[in-house]
Amino acid sequence: MTLSRTAAPVAPKTRPRAHPHRAPGRRRRVLSYWPQYLAISPFYILFAVFGLAPVLFSFYLAFQRWDGIGEMQFAGLDNFKYLIKDEVFWLSLRNTLLIWVMSTVPTLCLALVLAVMLNSVKRFKAFYRMAFFIPNITSVVAISIFFGALFATNYGLVNGVLETVGLPGVAWLQSVWGIKTVIAVLTVWQWTGYNAIIYLAGLQTISTDLYEQAKVDGANAAQVFFRITLPLLRPIILFTVVISTVGGLQTFTEPKVLVGDTAGTGQSGLTMVFYFYRQAFSHNDYGYGAAIAMVVLLVVALFTILNWTLVQRGQDGENG
Amino acid sequence: MTPRRVRGLLLHVVLAGGTILALFPFYWMVVMATNTNADIYRFPPKLTFGSQLPTNLRNVFDSIDFFGSLLNTVIVATTTTLLVLFFDSLAAFAFAKFDFPGRKVLFGVLIGTFFLPVGLAIIPGFVIMVELGWVGSLKALVVPAAANAFGIFFLRQYIHNAVPDSVLDAARLDGAGFFRQYFSLIVPIVRPGLAFLGIYTFIASWNDFIWPLVVLVNPDQVTLQVALQQLNSVHGLDYSRVMTGALLSVIPLIVMFLLFARNFVSDLAMGAVGE
Amino acid sequence: MTISRRRLLQAGLFGMASAAVGVTAACGDDDSSGTTGGDSKELSLWYWSGGLSDKVVAAVSTQFPDITFKPTQVGGAFKDKLVTTITSRQFMPDITGIKGEDIAYFMGQAGQFLDLNELGAGDLKAQYLEWKWKQGSATDGKLIGFPIDIGPTALFYRADIFKKAGLPSEVADVTAAMGTWDTFFEQGVKLKAALPGTFMVGEAAEVFDMAVGQTTKRYADADKKFIGDQEHIRNAWDLAAKAVKLGISFKVQSGGQDANAAWNQGTLPAKLGAAWVALDIKSAAEKTSGKWRVAPMPSGPANQGGSFLAIPKSSGNPKKAFEIITWMLNADNQAKGYTDAALFPSAPAAYKLPALTAADEFFGGQVTIDVFGPAAAKIPVAYESQYDSVLREPFAAELSNVETKGKDPEKAWTDAVAAAKQAGERVGVS
Repeated sequence: MTLSRTAAPVAPKTRPRAHPHRAPGRRRRVLSYWPQYLAISPFYILFAVFGLAPVLFSFYLAFQRWDGIGEMQFAGLDNFKYLIKDEVFWLSLRNTLLIWVMSTVPTLCLALVLAVMLNSVKRFKAFYRMAFFIPNITSVVAISIFFGALFATNYGLVNGVLETVGLPGVAWLQSVWGIKTVIAVLTVWQWTGYNAIIYLAGLQTISTDLYEQAKVDGANAAQVFFRITLPLLRPIILFTVVISTVGGLQTFTEPKVLVGDTAGTGQSGLTMVFYFYRQAFSHNDYGYGAAIAMVVLLVVALFTILNWTLVQRGQDGENG
Repeated sequence: MTPRRVRGLLLHVVLAGGTILALFPFYWMVVMATNTNADIYRFPPKLTFGSQLPTNLRNVFDSIDFFGSLLNTVIVATTTTLLVLFFDSLAAFAFAKFDFPGRKVLFGVLIGTFFLPVGLAIIPGFVIMVELGWVGSLKALVVPAAANAFGIFFLRQYIHNAVPDSVLDAARLDGAGFFRQYFSLIVPIVRPGLAFLGIYTFIASWNDFIWPLVVLVNPDQVTLQVALQQLNSVHGLDYSRVMTGALLSVIPLIVMFLLFARNFVSDLAMGAVGE
Repeated sequence: MTISRRRLLQAGLFGMASAAVGVTAACGDDDSSGTTGGDSKELSLWYWSGGLSDKVVAAVSTQFPDITFKPTQVGGAFKDKLVTTITSRQFMPDITGIKGEDIAYFMGQAGQFLDLNELGAGDLKAQYLEWKWKQGSATDGKLIGFPIDIGPTALFYRADIFKKAGLPSEVADVTAAMGTWDTFFEQGVKLKAALPGTFMVGEAAEVFDMAVGQTTKRYADADKKFIGDQEHIRNAWDLAAKAVKLGISFKVQSGGQDANAAWNQGTLPAKLGAAWVALDIKSAAEKTSGKWRVAPMPSGPANQGGSFLAIPKSSGNPKKAFEIITWMLNADNQAKGYTDAALFPSAPAAYKLPALTAADEFFGGQVTIDVFGPAAAKIPVAYESQYDSVLREPFAAELSNVETKGKDPEKAWTDAVAAAKQAGERVGVS
């Protein structure tokens, strides 16, 4: 009995058939798989109704003018034409990219370092892992409120510490870079542990034989890390980079809670999704909001592909 | 001390430092929750506990329906988690161990859904809920989340890694169909994976904010996060009250996590990359 | 082969989605599915914290024992919440508050509310300030919003800090010394010199909005023409820029936590605001009770805020709702509103009542109506367009650039006007 057979009795690939017989054969095969189709259907149905339909509706809405209450009016490309001229939108794009880079790069790098460290300790393993993951369990709302207090100019703890050691306090949430920094710090705090645990899981699958062998061959720690660990972790790193991209480019709750609806000084906290929310819900310009949302989708797709290629290319480069 | 011991010690020092950074906010939240506003606004800030907790708690309970929203959150999170575990594992089983026509394509679509920015769906999603008449109801939170791509992806990997074909073949020989195999074989074996996914889903549902904010139009029936935001905006000036509320919203989850997540990492590992 | 299957799949999904879209796209302004019967025994009210006196709200049940009254304080962005609820056509309250800054917007949605004149509001018109009544009425005379309060502005200040800095601290002296924006700014410079780290102005935007409020125009006129580049706005802009230049602005967000902390610490000893700001100061800085005073606003009062109560068209019992509204907003209860929530009455009869003429110990025993009363009488009435908030946004954003990034005020002005024009075009303002 072959152990590799995972399919039901008929293996389509190994059975070439003449054309006329294919149709009934396939239909029978399809029907015989009804439990599987049933099993996977809940997801696809739910996705179609609550995932895909909204996106398609959004796409449709982007060509309309609608205030949520009255009738929809067809507006053609007006929303998009306005978008191109809209300085505030381009500002939100720049803000989003900056915040994303400022948050994601430190998070993933720290997470990797942390994972390596966690992998090396012998005692208190479970304690450390839980401790570092807990920031991720906290709701973004609670944490944003908290970080707002932490970095407050006049009474925040951070400035308190700075001034105690003789440094001047910083107007964190009243300066353009300060706001972005606080958002980045918040994100790093919340997501480093999460990513570290994922990397840790990956590290644990690397056979210690490889490390032994490397030591025998005389490799030092850095070489081991860059030549063995990193390449083997690449798929996982790719996974976290993609997730961080999709999530990071849609930052919204943190700036909204931290700096309020005006998005702070110079609108520094205005990310694309924040701007979308403002247009749709504060200005009741749902059509324009939808147009912005479409562009967000494009940007996310673009950067995801970009990241994918970068990480993959690196892999090919390594192996090549 | 040997170099190794030194390195070991250093490692612990660094990790301990990191732990302090990770957990400090919770200490600080407790400090704020036990002090008055005047103490919070002091500069340099007060770092020790006060005795205001009972007053602050009372204020929180007066301002928002804490237990009501807590109950709602528990209902939503639990129902969602159970549904997700069931639907996702069923689908994952199908994807992992059966080569049905269209499997590759369908799975590709599944992966594709990862990349859909969820923010887009808010307005249309709301409109759909209006048409369905589910606005303001907890249904609107549970049903759309009842099956997700991440869970299917993760469990598929898990089943692929953890369930040997031989076991399934033996069951098939005994005449077990798809669902029988699922209930008697798959579920027991992937229990750790289910535990991980369960915790992950529960947490995500508990912390969900924007969607409940938009769709739970009835201010008397909201989830904990929305209630917390209400507290923040109605009484935002009363920091001690808001922080107490924030702390209360965070504690149940931490407790749950500490109780159930002992094997969090190993469960995750199995799903991500196999044994 | 694979391709065709994929296309089949796509077609199937698209088909399902289109069906869903088709259903949802058909949403428009159809009749609400709420109760249209007029005699519901349960009435709900939505308002925000400080929008009405909690005591008056609580007293409704006693006053109207034949119905069940369910008031709810709705947090968050009240207008957003209300609009979302209108869109969802469910859970609309039977009575709702409408904030002063949003009344212009809801005029554009007048069809969603009942005309209070049809319920008998006309008989009460004489009891309320004329301009406020007008503000709550649509152009065709329908009364959408019943007046709650008005927001005559004044200067709140910490007498103890002023004294410490060598500034005048008695109300009469302050009135004399800070009667105009220029003299006010001068004192601000003195304050900063005497007590470094202390500022007269919270943020430039406060000066800007107040100064605009002192004129009789805003950003768009009744014919939907853009007037945001005219003298009245320009003057306000220059004043705000001057405050920045003189370095007397604290650059903290108005109403934010940092401002509250500053009130407590005494580094922000002055606040230009409407009567209802007293409530904010009292809740954020209780420990400083007795140290504040109120003086007339430099260069004259403006009106900021002041809200309304409205009856959505889906209300379950419009007659009863109207009774409740008019009871809550009669002169006596409006007086209570002043004591409890610093809501300055819109019914002049209330001004003579003891609640209004009492001394306020938070303000060191000062009788604050002596300042607010005259201010209320002199409020310049302006046409407020529903597009004002959209048009104002670029000005606020550019002002913030001037204040915190040191942008050149001239350039910022040009940019603001251009952006406002562009935003205006989008909503139909030319």
